[in-house]
Amino acid sequence: MDRPQVVTENYANPVTCLFHVLFKAGALVFYILFSLFVKSFVIIFVITVFLAALDFWVVKNVSGRILVGMRWWNEIDDEGNSVWKFECLDGEALARMNKKDSWLFWWTLYLTAAAWIILGIFSLIRLEADYLLVVGVCLTLSLANIVGFTRCNKDAKKNIRGYFEGHAQNAITSRITSTLQSAFGVI
Amino acid sequence: MSHGDTIPLHSSSAQSDMDEIESLIHAAPPSAAAVLPARPPSPPRASIPVSSSPPLLPPPVAGSKPQLPPFSSSSSVASSSSPPLPSSVSVAIAGDGFGPPPNTLTEPVLDTVKRDLARIVSNLKLVVFPNPFREDPGKALRDWDLWGPFFFIVFLGLTLSWSASVKKSEVFAVAFAVLAAGAIILTLNVLLLGGRINFFQSLSLLGYCLFPLDVGALICMLKDNVLLKIIAVVVTLAWSSWAAYPFMSAAVNPRRKALALYPVFLMYVSVGFLIIAID
Repeated sequence: MDRPQVVTENYANPVTCLFHVLFKAGALVFYILFSLFVKSFVIIFVITVFLAALDFWVVKNVSGRILVGMRWWNEIDDEGNSVWKFECLDGEALARMNKKDSWLFWWTLYLTAAAWIILGIFSLIRLEADYLLVVGVCLTLSLANIVGFTRCNKDAKKNIRGYFEGHAQNAITSRITSTLQSAFGVI
Repeated sequence: MSHGDTIPLHSSSAQSDMDEIESLIHAAPPSAAAVLPARPPSPPRASIPVSSSPPLLPPPVAGSKPQLPPFSSSSSVASSSSPPLPSSVSVAIAGDGFGPPPNTLTEPVLDTVKRDLARIVSNLKLVVFPNPFREDPGKALRDWDLWGPFFFIVFLGLTLSWSASVKKSEVFAVAFAVLAAGAIILTLNVLLLGGRINFFQSLSLLGYCLFPLDVGALICMLKDNVLLKIIAVVVTLAWSSWAAYPFMSAAVNPRRKALALYPVFLMYVSVGFLIIAID
């Protein structure tokens, strides 16, 4: 890594990167094109929201853990309280992650949310409440993933720091799982 | 040795996506073997320590099997760190004899899909069919998800919009908005009454209870007989109310049971009227 590189770094998981981007682009393209040329709201809604839901699931369950080694979920404990869990690989594995994969992951997350916000503003300007419904659902899904992985990233950074410190001390940091009480949970 | 470990792990997973990734990884190193920092997918993962406590042994002895991920999450989450649970309830995954036991960070994609689908089916059975956990909202729908409710709301909207002869878009938008907002309002109603049910648990419950009404809407779409429509809607309305009753009543104080149940019943009656009226 310190040596000057002649060949540029390639994506470590090109197939996962493809699916990570495919559903996002599909939802946005379908929404924009069908809104302009096809006037059937039901078709626009179903296809766009379906693609957005697919994207949410793929990012959360597949590309998140393959591209950046993180995952998040919610579960109910024995007392009935809601517990949010954020999970990431240990420091050694995280340090080995491909930087280009990580770059693509985060940038596409933010750009997609920004695109939906812009489209929402357009719907608001044209006073189309039904299309605002589509944008609202898609934006909710995007923001959920951003929030979840941002919290995972905090643990990931701690793990990487621990790995490099531990590497100097000839030790390996284990995986950390942090839990948060939901604001809606019963304390 | 690592190459020997790779082959059985892949053969056991039999995952097309992983095979494609593996072949692509193998194709990449010949072009830039020295400078390419790409990591092969499985050998490092097999050796990654995955237990929550710091293990001194390099191979992990126990893997976390958490609950299935939710459909969506609230962004307003209060932070309070607590020690992670040593074990979590989830669908049991048959572990193969190769490598460490599978965990959610390194499991094949197919296992994730199977687990999600199995949970949706089990949640549906739990809500609309008799079972011993109906009286305990804490145990029921512990594996909550919003995929089922999402599908049922969209399905009901589609059915109503197909039944409508004019203004299909408005019918769909109104149905979706009423159901989504209604579920949220009903959940807040229960929480404000001091209910012991979780926010997303309640959303999930109300969504799954729409399944009978979906069946009623489908029957009404296929049949034009008004009397048959009324019978179908009344039966499915009673079924939905019966499904929602134990969860909502057990979640709140017995003296406030009527306050929690009446809005739920009102929403289902409204949906029933929507189903009958749209023609």
